[in-house]
Formats: sequence, C-alpha cells, structure tokens
Amino acid sequence: MSMEQFQDRCPVVWPRAIIHMDMNAFFAAVEQRDFPELRGKPIAVTNGEVGSCIITSSYEARAHGIRTGMRLKEGRRRCPGLIQRPARPEVYARISMAIMQALRDVSPDIEVFSVDEAFLDVTRCQRLHGTPVRMARMVREKVAAVCGLPCSIGVSGDKTTAKFASKLVKPEGFTVIPPWEAQERLRDIPVTALCGIADGIGSFLAQHGALVCGDVGRLPVSVLARRFGNLGRRIWLMCQGKDPDRIHDETPPPKSLGHGKVLPPRTRGREVLLTYLRHMSEKVAARLRRHHLEAQTYFIGLRAGDGWIGDRLRTTQPTHHAPPLFALCRFVMENLWRGEPVCQVQITALDPRPWRQQLDLFAEQDEGNSQIDEVMDRINRCYGELTVAPARLLQRSTMPNVIAPAWKPEGHRQTI
Amino acid sequence: MKFTISKEMLVKPLQMICGIVERRQTLPILSNVHASVSGNRLTLIATDLEVQMSTHAEILNGSDGSVTIPARKFLDICRALPDEATIVLSADGGEKATIRSARSRFTLSTLPAEDFPCMEAPRDAIRFGIAQDTLKYAIEHTQFAMAQQDVRYYLNGLLMEMAGSVLRFVATDGHRLALCDLVVPEAEELEKFNENQQIIIPRKGVLELSRLLEESDAPVQVAVGNNFIQLKTDQIEFVSKLIDGRFPDYQNVVPVNSDKRIVCERDLLRQALARVSILSNEKFRGVRLEFSPGLLHVHAHNPEQEEAEEEVSIDYDGPNLEMGFNVNYVQDALAACETAQVQLMLSDPNSCCLIHALDDEQCRYIIMPMRL
Repeated sequence: MSMEQFQDRCPVVWPRAIIHMDMNAFFAAVEQRDFPELRGKPIAVTNGEVGSCIITSSYEARAHGIRTGMRLKEGRRRCPGLIQRPARPEVYARISMAIMQALRDVSPDIEVFSVDEAFLDVTRCQRLHGTPVRMARMVREKVAAVCGLPCSIGVSGDKTTAKFASKLVKPEGFTVIPPWEAQERLRDIPVTALCGIADGIGSFLAQHGALVCGDVGRLPVSVLARRFGNLGRRIWLMCQGKDPDRIHDETPPPKSLGHGKVLPPRTRGREVLLTYLRHMSEKVAARLRRHHLEAQTYFIGLRAGDGWIGDRLRTTQPTHHAPPLFALCRFVMENLWRGEPVCQVQITALDPRPWRQQLDLFAEQDEGNSQIDEVMDRINRCYGELTVAPARLLQRSTMPNVIAPAWKPEGHRQTI
Repeated sequence: MKFTISKEMLVKPLQMICGIVERRQTLPILSNVHASVSGNRLTLIATDLEVQMSTHAEILNGSDGSVTIPARKFLDICRALPDEATIVLSADGGEKATIRSARSRFTLSTLPAEDFPCMEAPRDAIRFGIAQDTLKYAIEHTQFAMAQQDVRYYLNGLLMEMAGSVLRFVATDGHRLALCDLVVPEAEELEKFNENQQIIIPRKGVLELSRLLEESDAPVQVAVGNNFIQLKTDQIEFVSKLIDGRFPDYQNVVPVNSDKRIVCERDLLRQALARVSILSNEKFRGVRLEFSPGLLHVHAHNPEQEEAEEEVSIDYDGPNLEMGFNVNYVQDALAACETAQVQLMLSDPNSCCLIHALDDEQCRYIIMPMRL
C-alpha cells in the first residue's frame, strides 16, 4: 500500500499542514505549451532576442547541464541545438495569476512565494476537503486544469520541509513528509539544502560542527541566536522540521520601490545614459502614482565595474513625478559620473509613503504637472506602458521588461 | 604654558563646551580644545566652525601661553580623577602636553594653538540684554519644531525676528510650526534693527543654547552681526554663524479665519493621546480626532488592524468635524502649553490647527493635518 493510499484510508488530522507548489521550468514550459514545435527540444528563455543570460531552460536543456544564470554562449557550447526563446513576461504573469487564483479554492491561506511558487496552509481545511494529501492532489489538478503545465508538490507540517519535499522529485513530483516524520527525514540532509540557508549561514554552522540538519538540533539554540538573532532561532527549528514561519498572505507596504536596467556592455554616452535614467524615472514615478505613494529619498546609481557610482539624494518635497527625479539623475551625471563605462542603471525610492498623507504648511506648486501625469497614466493604462512618454524616450532602449522574482499577483509587486 | 587647577573648577566649564566637539572630524584640530592662560585665568574654546563656545576658569597658578589638546580625552581624564584632585597641565611648545595629578600622569598629543580656527566676534553688531530664563523659555518652547536635515536648509534652525520691542522666535519643519513672542525691555537698541529683520540660528547652536542657558534672571548679552550671533553670560561666550537663507513666509500660514473654537483640559487630552498613540501606525503616527459638541472622540489603528479609542470631554458647540493628525506633533504642542486648559482653533479637515494656552497667545503652535 502506498503512502498516499494509507493516508486516505486512515485520515489523521495534522496539527499543521503546508503544501508547497512549484511550477516545473515554468517559463520554458509555457513556451513549449504554446509552441508545439518546441516540445521535447532543449530551449533557453532569455530577456528578449538580445538577452544573453539564460533566465530558465527546459528539462531537455537541463539534461545538457544548462543552468539558470548561464550565458547563452556557454549554453550553446554545452548544447549545440539549444533554441533561444525571448521571454514573454506578460504571458507568464497572466498564467501565474490564474494559477494562484485557482489555488485559493483549495485554501484561502496562500502565500505567493514567487511567480511560479506558492505555499498553502491547509491546516484549517482538513474537515472541508479531507487529508492534506488529498488537498495536495487537488492542487495538482487545479494547476493542470488552469494551464496544463507540470508542477512539483511537497506536503508537510511546515514551510521549509514542504519546500524541501517539492524539490526532491522534479518534474511532476509529489512528495509527502508527515510532520511527525519531518525531523527524521531531514536528519542526514546537508543544512544548505534547506531554503534560506546559503553559504554564509552554512559555513557558520559548519564551524560549529553542524553539517547536516540533525547536527543543528544538537547545538544550543543560543549559539545561533547570538549570531543571527531571530533568524537563528528559526533556522534551529527549521532543521528539526519545525519551521514556525507562518503563511504571509499580505503584501506589506513597500520599504522601497525601484527599477533598474542592465545596459549594453561599456555604455558611456552621456545622452544614452540620460535616456536610460529618464526611462527609469518615468517607471518609478508611474509606479509610485499607481499605488498612491510618494517618496523623498532616492538612490540613483550607475553601475561601473564592481561598484556603484551614485548616491542617496533627496527631492525638495516628497514627490511622485518624474521630472524632480530626473533632476536628481542629472545631478549624479554632472557631479559624480566621470565618464566611466556603465553596465547598469538603478533608481530606487527609499522612503515610499502614502501620497499626501501629511499636508505641508508651505507646499510649493507641483513640480511635475499633475494633470499631465494623470492623463498620461490613463492613456498608458489603456494602451500599454510608455505609450505616451517624454520625447527623450523615443530613443529609449528596446530591451524588454523583465519579470522580477519577487513578483506578486497583487499590490506594488505586480509590476514588470 | 603651565597651569595648576582644582578638578572642581575645571570640569564644569570643560563639560559646557565639549558638547559641540564632533566625534568624527575631517579637520583634526576641531577635536581639540583651545586652552590659554593669561594671569590667573584659563580660557577654553571649542568650535565646529559653525558654533564656537568659550568658558573660563580660575587657576591656582601658572604661566601664560596657549595650546590645543584633544577635548574628549582631556575631559574624560579630568572626570575620572578623584573629586578633590589638583590637576597640573604643562605644554612646552613641543608635540605633547602632560597632565599630572597626585600619582597619575598622562601625555596627550597637541596641535599648535595658532592653527585653531577662532571665529571673530561680530564688530558692527546690534546689542541688547535679556534675562537668561526668558530666552531659555522662548527657545525651549519652539526648538522642537525645527526641521532636521531638511533639504530646505533654512528650516534646520530657529528664526529670530526683531519687530519693535518684540523679539519673535519661529521654528518649523514644514508640517508644524511653533512661535513664541518675547517683549524685550531694552527696546531702544532693538529699534536699530531694520524693520522685521530676521536671522536664522542653526539647529545645533540652538540645541546647545537651550542646554547652556540657566533658569535664572541673570542677563545674557546678545550681539547680532551680519552673519553671526553672539551671546555672553558670566560663564560662557557663545558665537554661532547664521543660516544664509530666506525663511518661508510663516505669517501667511498662521490661521486667522478659524471659526471653530475648542477648549479642553490639557492633561486629559495628553493622556488620552498617549494611550491611543500606542496603536497608531509606528511610522506615520496618524490619529483621528472627531470633534462634536461637548465631546472629542480619538481613534487610531495600526497595520495589524489593532484599534484604540478614547473619549474626552471638551468645550465646543460647533458642527461635527473629523480630522487626522500626527499624534507626535499634537503631543509636542500640548506639552509646551503648560496651562491647565488649552484652546484649539480649527476650520476644516484640510486646514491647519492652531493650539495655544487658554487666554495666552505668547506661544502658538500650528499643525497641518494628515489625510487618513
């Protein structure tokens, strides 16, 4: 009798039940679904036709050792038949939104972890839908019904173990680790196999003689707490299959809000850089406006070599208009940039807050023109981003937008 | 140079001036204090190039001369010596100064006294005298409203305006404003000022002044020059550069047409606000005030959807009015009013609120609302 069958016949209410759903090679799978000629072939998704970095690849490509983050050139060397496909972020976002919406039918307690991953807390649905394992099967069926794409599923009593379980078998895995078995199952697993423990924490644990999860539980919790604070306490519990972290279904108000772009190698034309900066100014300002925010402190950065040229700068008043932001960019260009070749630009609002919540005694006239912005926003909402834009942007880069890993179906993270 | 002094005589004046010595310096000499002996008088000077303070102390004996030594180390050493200690400092013009006291001995590095950037006291100044406690009162009742590191640099200070025999202090950060009027007895001198002449004293100097001025009616001599202000008491001389900028037209924002007058017990309101504020948004500090005849309803909630509500009896018979405020601004103003009852003047939810003590408009506080 398989584990699954056993679970269904002898339903035990789990004290806590978490399902982790992870889409398999999501962007590549979407391409293969929409273009049948790509099925069974090694494909690499890149940022537009010009992108040279592999965002994701199909399992056929992965068999040749292709990995996310690899340069296309290297990919072609390893797999001569590799097919490049430009990413279609809007399509991925739409499918992701539909999947997440469908999963809400299983449990309303859902944390969209990234564009292709979600945690569901099904603890409180056990009387309604049956065992966690049954609900995990519902998840798989919902995903298949909505988009016909493969996913891997992990079920356990906490987030970390559930994520670990979903990773065990790919593609189309289905792994159940009942909470009472979690500690035993993790015992001999290297600590760095858990989500959230990378090299830094890993080497700290190794120094204290803890290489696998079972070792960590034997360390006094204070050792981890002294070094990493609350995170340390969480890691100690995580390694024992008792990750206390709850499902975060709310999008907290943004701590910062920014846009950046990678430039063609060694860009050093003043006007070209200004156009990029204007482009990012428009994007940041429009996004602040869309979410009824304003900000006064901005990071304006040009990445040159290993470091950033730029600074945290403040506008006279909190704003959500592009012109004062672009004025800060000009300041950076004129005062801090000395003609170095630049490979990336970034503009980040560092103190976003609700728009005009605190009224000002000496409010000056709007630096940007509110009415123009409003009309522009309405047109662009109908016809697409930057349909109407400042003239300088006619020369803007055609580099397509990239979907951020932190993308969320709602709130300020719903942006490309 | 050499002097002998009792710890008791040295520590207090040294403490008074060390506050302005910045912990991190680009110019090394600014971490030093300038010490000079003339007769039986020791003069100590500290500066950050914006504010300069000097004090003096009586020495037991010594020889004339001057030197600069690290201010904080010098203070820490003197403070750590026993209370009855006698301190001997000697500097022979070399790179080191020696401090001796009983069985203790310290060697400190020095920098040449002639390199110390002393500010000249203003020459063509307008001078007047005022009681220390009066000036202290005005500063303490306005300084909390000064901006901190605002891009509008002229807000990072305290405005002093001379109009007839009235000396007016105004501080604002753009969201709220504090204003205090003083009547100066020696009005003849003040008349030499141009009509409504304004100066802005930088924030740091203002904070130092409020620390230094004492609760006594001993006079402080004020001299205002083109870009300096000097204040002199028996113990200390304070010179500050002025902020070269135009203060916003504050008179325009003092409300004159507020038609809704509310009188309430200050302590009751303060306590209610203190409790409600616990559950207001930690970052934005918004609270909602709902005024209705006889009753004020105070309400706050935070992002975790926790809520607080309070009711306070008030003297008001106008229409219902609902407004949001940053609770810190209201609390600061109420704390400064110092009378049993306060008066609030309002007009509409998008216009500012004027707060002052009941029947006393010497100090007035204006707060812009929040939209909640």
